[in-house]
Amino acid sequence: MMGQNAIGVLLVVICALLEGVGQVFLKKSVLGAVRWYLWISFGVVILLIETMIYSQALLFLDVGAAYAISSLNLISVTFMSRCLLREKVTRIRWIGVCLIFIGVSLVAARA
Amino acid sequence: MSKKKNFPTRLAAGLLLAILIDTALQLVWKSAVLSLPNDGSPWLNVQAVLHSPLFIFVIFLMACQFFNWLMVLGNADLSYAQPVTSLSYVSVFCLSVLYLKETTDLIQIAGIVCVLAGVWFISQTDHVTHSSERES
Repeated sequence: MMGQNAIGVLLVVICALLEGVGQVFLKKSVLGAVRWYLWISFGVVILLIETMIYSQALLFLDVGAAYAISSLNLISVTFMSRCLLREKVTRIRWIGVCLIFIGVSLVAARA
Repeated sequence: MSKKKNFPTRLAAGLLLAILIDTALQLVWKSAVLSLPNDGSPWLNVQAVLHSPLFIFVIFLMACQFFNWLMVLGNADLSYAQPVTSLSYVSVFCLSVLYLKETTDLIQIAGIVCVLAGVWFISQTDHVTHSSERES
């Protein structure tokens, strides 16, 4: 049986993955894609599902811990931007993302 | 480091607004979730959400965030804009220390410095990838 914290962590990790996909869809909608309204609709639906899951996660975790784990969003979004949107993600940008991830983890670890 | 192109004022304003709304959202959302009855009934929870002023405010903030975010995405790469909005971690931390009188220590301050350094690194990259530059 999973502990409450483990369930909360799992839910927030799922949220991070959904955030990556949802944000890519939203970005697609403003890139002048054909049927932009479909991209935006799917993006909104995915982000709404993420919102519901995150609300449940807050019942299991402190907001500090949930917010810290949700910094995985950064890695997820950057990776998907590189792979799915073919954005130019330079080494400098990756260094920035990793520093932010470490920083947020440090802040939340003491919260 | 790549040479920076002109940075639009509209994008700067959009990013600032995104950080401010995200900060408010994080603080209000937790209060809203805690105000729900904990009876395990999803239907009663839905009813409570629809009648809770805090949740209505959360939804309002999310709507503002959504339209502002679309404007930001129209002016910048997703992999640029998303990390920059991490400055909301710094603002939430500062508000907690200044107004909620929460205690802090060197580890947390080191974390804040890392976040600021990370955002600085990202700000040194171009905010938009042009079609000819898209990686294969």
